[in-house]
Amino acid sequence: MITMFRAVLYTQWKWSRLIVVLGTIAAFAIPLLSLQGAARADRGALQAQDLLRSVQSWGSLYPLLATALGLLMAIAAWAPDHRGRHIHALTLPLPRWEYVLLRFGAGFVLLAAPIAAVAIGALLASLTATIPPGLQAYPIALAVRFTFAVFVAYAVFFAVSAGTARTAGIILGLIAAIILLQVVAGIANIDLNLFGAAQTVLVLGPGPLAVFTGRWMLVDV
Amino acid sequence: MSKVLGLAFAAALLTSPLHGQDSLMQRLRNRADSLLSTWREAQRLADVADSLERVRATAGSDTIAVGALRIIANPSPLPLREAAARAWPAIDSLYGSAAEDLVQHPYIIRAVDPDSGVRRAVLHVGVELPWDLDMRATTRVLLTTVTPPRFDIGLADWLGATLRPTLRPADERTAVYLQLVTVPSEAVRGCFVGDIARCKDVLQLGDSTGLVGRWYVTPAEREALVSGVFGDYFARGGTAPSLQKCRQHNDDACTALLRSLPPGSLPRLLATAARLSLVREALRAGGREAYSRLVAHPEASMETRLASAATMDIDSLVARWRNGVLAARPVSLALPWWAGIAAIGWTAFFGFCALRSSRWRL
Repeated sequence: MITMFRAVLYTQWKWSRLIVVLGTIAAFAIPLLSLQGAARADRGALQAQDLLRSVQSWGSLYPLLATALGLLMAIAAWAPDHRGRHIHALTLPLPRWEYVLLRFGAGFVLLAAPIAAVAIGALLASLTATIPPGLQAYPIALAVRFTFAVFVAYAVFFAVSAGTARTAGIILGLIAAIILLQVVAGIANIDLNLFGAAQTVLVLGPGPLAVFTGRWMLVDV
Repeated sequence: MSKVLGLAFAAALLTSPLHGQDSLMQRLRNRADSLLSTWREAQRLADVADSLERVRATAGSDTIAVGALRIIANPSPLPLREAAARAWPAIDSLYGSAAEDLVQHPYIIRAVDPDSGVRRAVLHVGVELPWDLDMRATTRVLLTTVTPPRFDIGLADWLGATLRPTLRPADERTAVYLQLVTVPSEAVRGCFVGDIARCKDVLQLGDSTGLVGRWYVTPAEREALVSGVFGDYFARGGTAPSLQKCRQHNDDACTALLRSLPPGSLPRLLATAARLSLVREALRAGGREAYSRLVAHPEASMETRLASAATMDIDSLVARWRNGVLAARPVSLALPWWAGIAAIGWTAFFGFCALRSSRWRL
């Protein structure tokens, strides 16, 4: 099993190394860039707001990067199989669920690199920056949030990518039906807020996308 | 003889302008007196109009009494009594014994049908509320429209707001914490790190001389203030050259421009929440009679009034306020434990969906 996992990991690395390398560089650079200029000893009271503003602006890139990494890694994990119409996978002496699990696990292992890069970059940035009194660096909290976001994004897109065109069609059809219903309800003046309900289910509380919301701040009060 | 006549003529010439000046002064004084009596007459008429309007607005209404709260309202399903019962403890705890004066300031509420398009008579006193408001919203209305008893203009000017019960005192202190950390001012930063004198300065307590230097400590702050907030004001007329010098980092020019501003026109470093939270702290420390002591001597300085309300010296009160604000630090950015579990759960769920994919099912 370990040998199989190594083989799957190796092939997946070959297919997605460009994504992993670029993602790791970006993940390392964003925290450092977000605190650029904060490493000056003369940073006084006037700059505290500017620093927070800069960190907040750069903070929007973390969930975007997590989503992009999840999406691209999931696509890369299945693209060769889709191209070969899964013939190679069908010839392997293992059930499908095991094969999918190996691919799923290999993706997580490869995503460890950008996650570690965010953690190291955030730690380095917060250690080298002069942070005004009252503000604090949160490198670990940021790295943990990024980890969960990457994992959720990868799992979502992996599941979509592993499905058939019919599955994708059903999902898209469902989304289209919700939009259509909302439009019809609006025209008929019916008090129906499907978008709000969808937002509540997906983004708020323990929803699947809740980890992407909130404050992605390396430095905050 | 001619000499005497000449002297008399000269004296008459010299005194005639003085006579003229006297009569001008008299005319102006008469006009001022006339204006004063007209203003008093207008005031009396306005009072009568208010009184009549009040009678009109309260005609056919019921009076609800809860504690010292009096609510005059027309019959409706609006849960006024329940809301008053919830609002009264908050009001009573803020104003203490002075809350008894609220009997003299009844709420006048007209409950209206929210769905009706029928035109109603316009009332100039009280508030109109849709009768389908729930108890929470009605309580909020009562709390946010209560008339503070014996609230004088000096206190209002210093506060920059009306002192009413807050619905979320912790949020108010958190807002002040954020200001202490993020306001671009060395004075505010000094207060944050524990300099009580700086806290008193930024709260405008005590001596108000040299406020420019104490509020805007660094030349950069003064230049930013002149160029930013007062840039347009100083750009015209005789101050334009000084503004140019200030923009060229000449601190003397910046300071001179700021000192030329009328008193009270310097922007406050901290928003209203800071002063409100200080007053609440004083009232909390001073017990039930604190508010009465606060409003007892409107002519006294704010420093004295707050110290009297809190029954402690102003430095101790400000230190106590600062500690309260620091304790209201916003919650940390760390994900709550359940968010991590939810993320892992969703990852496992979507992974399971992938395992159960129909692609290979035959």
